[in-house]
Amino acid sequence: MDKKLKIIGKSTSKLDGNDRVSGRSVYGHDIELPNMLYAKILRSKYTCAKIKYIDCSKALALEGVEYILTAKNLDVNMIGYKRDHPILKGETVNCQRDEIAAVAATSREIAAKAVSLIKVEYEEIKGIYDPFEALKTEARKINLNGQGEEKFGNKNIAESFEYSHGELKSMKKLSKVIVSRRYQFPRVTHCCMGTSNITADYSIIDGKLTLYSSTQVPFLYQRDMAHALKMEPSKIRIIQPIIGGGFGSKLDMLPFEPICALLSIKTGKPVQLLYSREEEFIASPTRQAMVIDLTSGVDEKGKFTFREVQITMDNGAYTSWGATTPFVMMQAYSSLYQIAACKFQADAVYTNNPNAGSFRGYGNPQATFSIERNIDLMAEELGLGKDEIRLLNANFPGEITGQGLLFKTCGAKPALLKVIEESNYKMKNREKQSGRYRRGVGLASMLHVGGGAKIYRSDGCGTRLKLDHYGFLTIITGSSEIGQGSETVLAMIACEELGIPLTHIKVINSDTDVKPWDVGVHASRTSFVAGNSLLGAISIIKQKLNSKAAQLMGCKNSDFVYENGFIKACEKEVKIDKVVREMHFGNPNKLCVAEYFFEPTSSFQDKDFKGDVSGNYAFASQVAEVEVDTYTGKVNVINMYVSQDVGRVLNPMGLQGQIEGGLATGLGYALTEEMIYEDGYLTNPSFHEYKLLTAMDMPEVHFYPIETMDEAGPYGSKGAGEAPLIPTAAAIANAVSNALGVEFLSVPLTPEKVLKALSEKNNHKTANSQIL
Amino acid sequence: MNFEIESPLNKEELLKTLSNLQSKKFRFGAGFTDLLIEFKKFNPVETTVINLAQLKDEEFCSIRNDSGEIQIGSLVKLAQICKDTYIKDNFPVLHQAANALASGQIREVATVGGNICQASPSGDLSCALVSLKANCEILNIDGKIRNQAISEFFKGPGKTSLQKNEILKSISIPINHSKNLKSGYIKIGKRSAMECSIVSLAYHFQLEKNGKVKHAGIAIGAVGPTIIFCQETVDFLLKQNINNIDEVLKLKIASMIQNASSPIDDARASAWYRHQVLYNVAKSLFE
Amino acid sequence: MDDKLIKISFSLNGKSLTKNVSPSLFLIDFIRDELKLKGTKPGCREGECGACTVLVNGVAINSCLFLAINIHGKELITIEGLSSIEKPLHPIQEKMLEHGAVQCGFCSTGIVLTTKAFDDECRSDGKIPSRQEVKKSLEGHLCRCTGYTKIVDAAEDYLTHSSF
Repeated sequence: MDKKLKIIGKSTSKLDGNDRVSGRSVYGHDIELPNMLYAKILRSKYTCAKIKYIDCSKALALEGVEYILTAKNLDVNMIGYKRDHPILKGETVNCQRDEIAAVAATSREIAAKAVSLIKVEYEEIKGIYDPFEALKTEARKINLNGQGEEKFGNKNIAESFEYSHGELKSMKKLSKVIVSRRYQFPRVTHCCMGTSNITADYSIIDGKLTLYSSTQVPFLYQRDMAHALKMEPSKIRIIQPIIGGGFGSKLDMLPFEPICALLSIKTGKPVQLLYSREEEFIASPTRQAMVIDLTSGVDEKGKFTFREVQITMDNGAYTSWGATTPFVMMQAYSSLYQIAACKFQADAVYTNNPNAGSFRGYGNPQATFSIERNIDLMAEELGLGKDEIRLLNANFPGEITGQGLLFKTCGAKPALLKVIEESNYKMKNREKQSGRYRRGVGLASMLHVGGGAKIYRSDGCGTRLKLDHYGFLTIITGSSEIGQGSETVLAMIACEELGIPLTHIKVINSDTDVKPWDVGVHASRTSFVAGNSLLGAISIIKQKLNSKAAQLMGCKNSDFVYENGFIKACEKEVKIDKVVREMHFGNPNKLCVAEYFFEPTSSFQDKDFKGDVSGNYAFASQVAEVEVDTYTGKVNVINMYVSQDVGRVLNPMGLQGQIEGGLATGLGYALTEEMIYEDGYLTNPSFHEYKLLTAMDMPEVHFYPIETMDEAGPYGSKGAGEAPLIPTAAAIANAVSNALGVEFLSVPLTPEKVLKALSEKNNHKTANSQIL
Repeated sequence: MNFEIESPLNKEELLKTLSNLQSKKFRFGAGFTDLLIEFKKFNPVETTVINLAQLKDEEFCSIRNDSGEIQIGSLVKLAQICKDTYIKDNFPVLHQAANALASGQIREVATVGGNICQASPSGDLSCALVSLKANCEILNIDGKIRNQAISEFFKGPGKTSLQKNEILKSISIPINHSKNLKSGYIKIGKRSAMECSIVSLAYHFQLEKNGKVKHAGIAIGAVGPTIIFCQETVDFLLKQNINNIDEVLKLKIASMIQNASSPIDDARASAWYRHQVLYNVAKSLFE
Repeated sequence: MDDKLIKISFSLNGKSLTKNVSPSLFLIDFIRDELKLKGTKPGCREGECGACTVLVNGVAINSCLFLAINIHGKELITIEGLSSIEKPLHPIQEKMLEHGAVQCGFCSTGIVLTTKAFDDECRSDGKIPSRQEVKKSLEGHLCRCTGYTKIVDAAEDYLTHSSF
């Protein structure tokens, strides 16, 4: 990267920010189509029951009710990652969110009233809410469509992953210290500020279905929807309105979406379905709840020897993409720090809890928490500095890990060094604490894919460019914008390469009828994959422009410079729009367009999950500095020091926004957020009881990007969106342990949990404590 | 959701509306921040809402300082309390409690009367007012006033002594006899804002120049069926000098406050936690 | 619906308006469904997230916990009221963009209005708020994208440096 960059690396405001801040942006909630109906879903009263009958007669008699959909007479396929999820449930219900009927009516009020008039008689069955209970031989088969018996030897296993590398036995023998712990993680949820929504518009004239949907994976969604409804995929057009937050929640297609489509098909009218906030808590995806048993070892010199891990995930009643989080988790266990041997086993187990889903970080926050807590414990037992042990084992450039990940560039060690230095970790870690308020520091690192992840046959992205004869560029990209700022980065790249001002660049990315293939927004891949794809298309359009410009300026084989709307060569210049005009209207007439398909060089892993799955890898370290109130147990995070290998900073302000936003989600995971279930019923379905953190709870964030200039990424960049939240809970738990000298085996570290741990420690010390 | 509405514009219309509705189901709505949430959960059936938001009478809507007491109308908004400099200077406990309640947007509409009449054991404003030994002025349909100490006004979670023919008109707080104050509100929750108290402690001590406690009030919230006035602790403190409270006395006082509580387990916290934290924050009063 | 409609007169973004509304109509639904102003966002409808914040007589309130009939005789300002042909963006909005305080944007419009109300309050009190006070002024807004830092930066920048 020797050429001087003009806009890449400079803070640039979000391209469509002014529409969003002024209320002009049209979110799914704001769509109103002529003759539109409003849908509402009746969900199960029980978390596990047989349905004896459904009586819709009273609801149907209500004026304004146009259609009521039930499982009866419905010719559809099941949905979900394992196709084990009926869109509507007619015979049994398996969790609180189960959809039994859906009403389309002329107003929201009538739809709600109609739902309340539907009579369902159930025969309640005792549910199974603990995955370990579900694994017992005497347990009932929970999801009747599951194939666990045939595939995994247990009827209630939905998905299973096994992985290993190295000589586990001999590495165990080599270990001086071995630490085993069981960690538990609750469900948490995305809390998108805009609730789930869809507007379906089916044309009875031509049989085409238009869906205004906030999916993050429009092309997979189109395929899934077509499969569910038994339609031709290309008859389904997905338009993505502005999304009020994604964070992974819109990776799976959920039943409400084909339900709304079916209501539109049955009525021949547009139908809109909006979740209430309570419904969003009850019936939108969650992070995977799991129990992790991790044993890890270290030799006398402080080199990590092995990790052996068994993970039991609460899959819920149906299988989502969330069941595949072990795919990402095994990368952390096999390759975060140098690991000679690793054995990994994970089962997703059916229960009568709600089905989970995917969430920014994708299993990695849980894996990293267990790894980094165990490292602190090993360091303590070995008598080695917690920073030293990490530096000693840090990943390095050129490393090929046991799993076959190739770290062509690697900022692991620089990131560690940076946060250790900036936070004054060494000194603060040793400070003895007493009194009411006690301070502590905690360190944690992470490894995540930074160049996409090959989980589908293509991890690619297509781009089409159209340069008009007024000098305006339209970028038609397969990728999607969900608030993260990818549109802006794409426009910056085009501005950099073609010298066209941002005001002359339009990004079209929200219509499957128009945009080329892309696998979707996930795996921190968009800037990487869509950026590379755009660069490919730019290089093609430049060849076309160069040749015309050369002709116009009368020079050959020169270096062409694109600047301020001009193409410059051999000390001459010509306006870019003039070049386009000459192409369009000159002889022979040529359209100034280009297209490019970028497919990362990453490989599909083999059946043993070995292989270089991503175009590059992101590394990050964080230090949390906390102050714990020993009177109340409340943890106040004062400072977060964050260093991340981002390859290269494209838009500093956009990147910082991703870092701070990710951290905040990690902070909530560490401190307050938890979905509390009683026999499968969510007891805290509101922001108030769920305890989403506020501005008042935020620490100071100190961010230090590490630039490793990875040649695979656009300008050397790597994916950055998920990394900031992955090590946060681990760093905070390590910091609280450092402050108080107690251990934590689960999140969140609520005031009560902290005070209890402290009180148990004190009770242990003095039999005659005042406490209790 | 459907309900009828009556919007009296003054006290006379209010009393008339109230008497007309004696044989019907009605609810008062002032700030509506609690009522509308309740209606969403439990759809109102044949209910009339007496909308107090358009009532303009001074005695309901203003904070007045006369005849040896502060009178706060029941329709005074929490934001008014927060912004009132006299209250801020003379009753820090009340200022802090009001300021700790919900969010700025809620405080701009939620009313003092609404907060009190919810009779929540975790009510922030109520806790402060109990510590200040506030008096409730209750108006009935005949225009008669009934006075009642606020701690008597609360009868249980969500229950007050208010009769169907009555409305809370205002509350009054005796003015301070001393400028030398130790007054504040401690609220414990999981987040740093937008919380419902897990434990709260309101205290207002008026001291003599030498530090001797002249008047005292302590109230604790979310640790019993109603907000609790810690009478025993207050009696004990009245014999003390605030400057002479040593480690032993401090712990004794904390135990006394703790003993006044009878917390239960609920979704927000366990009884154990409430009990423990109450003791700890009570200790912190004299640190 | 068989409600008796109630006539209300109020000012909407500076213009007088008279409408007949149902007594049980929420202000947020009145704004979004009847006035068709969609910049007021439905985030939770329980007073927790602040996305539906509007100004009533200059103070920021949650329109999801407010009856439409109670804007009778009052001034209602929605996010659309902050834009004019001459000045499409309010300086607060410019600060939000400049600081990168907008990601998905669902919470942004409410935050703009709360900051405006807080600014008016600070001006009338003649005070410049501290960073802690700025944070406190935003306690009633939830945001999942930004981690709040840039929102607080933008608001603080505006509240402490503006001379408009």
